[in-house]
Amino acid sequence: MTSSPTPPPLLAVEALESAYGAVQVLWGVSFNVPHGQIVTIIGSNGAGKTTTLNTIIGVMKLRGGRILFKGEDIGTLPPHERVKRHISLVPEGRHLWPRMSAEDNLLMGAYQPSLRRDARRNLTRVYDLFPRLKERRSQLAGTLSGGEQQMCALGRGLMAEPELLMLDEPSLGLAPKLVDEIFAHVEQICKQGVTILLVAQNVSYALQMSETAYLMETGRITLSGPSRSLATNKYVVEAYIGKA
Amino acid sequence: MTLVDFANLLVAAVLLAGIYAVMSVGMTVIYGVMKIVNLAHAGFMMLGAYFAMELFERLHLDPIVAALAVFPIMAIVGIAVYYLLVRWLPQSDKPTLPSLLLMFGLWLVLQNLGYVIWGNEDRSIFTPRTFDVIHAGPIILPTIRVYVFAAGAGCVLLLEALLNWTWFGRALRALVQNRYAGQIVGVDDQKIASLTFGLGIGFAGLAGALLASLYSFNPDFGRPFLIRAFVIIVLGGLESVSGVAIGALVLALVESFAIIWLPAGYQLAVSFGLLVVVLIVLPGGIASLIGRVRRLA
Repeated sequence: MTSSPTPPPLLAVEALESAYGAVQVLWGVSFNVPHGQIVTIIGSNGAGKTTTLNTIIGVMKLRGGRILFKGEDIGTLPPHERVKRHISLVPEGRHLWPRMSAEDNLLMGAYQPSLRRDARRNLTRVYDLFPRLKERRSQLAGTLSGGEQQMCALGRGLMAEPELLMLDEPSLGLAPKLVDEIFAHVEQICKQGVTILLVAQNVSYALQMSETAYLMETGRITLSGPSRSLATNKYVVEAYIGKA
Repeated sequence: MTLVDFANLLVAAVLLAGIYAVMSVGMTVIYGVMKIVNLAHAGFMMLGAYFAMELFERLHLDPIVAALAVFPIMAIVGIAVYYLLVRWLPQSDKPTLPSLLLMFGLWLVLQNLGYVIWGNEDRSIFTPRTFDVIHAGPIILPTIRVYVFAAGAGCVLLLEALLNWTWFGRALRALVQNRYAGQIVGVDDQKIASLTFGLGIGFAGLAGALLASLYSFNPDFGRPFLIRAFVIIVLGGLESVSGVAIGALVLALVESFAIIWLPAGYQLAVSFGLLVVVLIVLPGGIASLIGRVRRLA
């Protein structure tokens, strides 16, 4: 038996192209997400970060390139086939169902038939992680506070037993103390073996937490490397950290 | 008006509300998931009425049993119509012109299909029990209306249970409230939409079949009821079964008590008048009224 020197990444995105109608947003985006890591994509508003995540989950059709998950090209599968492979997205703006209870919101995260059998057990795990949600389980999601809503969205993402959890701006609009809390949870989730792809405008936080980082500008990856080196990169500091 | 008259009118209104709710929930679920105003609803009600008549005349089923049997038949018709026609419509968060035109055209096609198959004379379902009444003290209840109410209300309650306690129901509500969120957790929206369309058409057929036990019908059947369904939906909001039930009750009460002051022939004018008034005064429906009162309190 030969051991391969570098194991293939959990997710490999190759030359991804994506467009809204005639407006192309992604122009050949490539990056890797290795097993067990936190990888971050940083960049300003409108750079194409959210579009990238939407294309990986399949809500957005890709126009070119490949999305390899565990070596399998999932680029043309419908979203539910990708969720079945344990890819999960916690979207920007949370996108909960406001007039459904917090618990129904969480349960919907385990909608795939293959996940339903263990839905109750996973619900207990989410409640252990976020005791606040257990207290508010029967409350309508639209009446939860911002922090509680973000926990609910995170919990919903975890209900799919993700191997790859994609987080889109999990700290947006939250008070600084809550931001700390959410990111602490994210690190805890990663320690439990979940690979995380994090998109954030809070660049200093994202670079602190992650091992690998990619800088995205106008639909292209313009810089990549270990997060520590990007955090000290003169261009990144001037354009994305200094101004904050 | 004596107290007994009042009680009789009240009971009649509640019995009427049951059938009104059945015919409106079908439109509601279809609108909620697909944002399609199903103008062909009346056509499917008409088909349901004739199917019930055929089951009654050929297989000698009890009219109520026949009506319940129409539900799955029409649900299958609905799913077929979805895959043949509806799924090609452009997806949208709002009603689109193509969807209105398609459903209106479909209604005309169904009507003419009705004329071809069953002719243009009025038909009805009569049993020896059609004119039976139950005397509950001073209140007189037409037996058939009680049965129609029980069957209709039972089906609406089953729908409410389906929406709240099953995976299909949760997925349906999820698509109503946020389609994108449904997609990212892996709800196959095409599949849910097809089943929802089947469910909605099933309820249209059931409503037509139940009404066939109360009124005579021809291929143009359903038109006045379509307008009533609009009133109920505007009153009760487009999202919840309980809203539809409240809207149905309000319309039935208004129609029933209007008879005191207006000739019965003006009944439809009453519902249309109510629609106009509600659209001007309370465009958000009863739910917005409750919200406004709560904010004031």
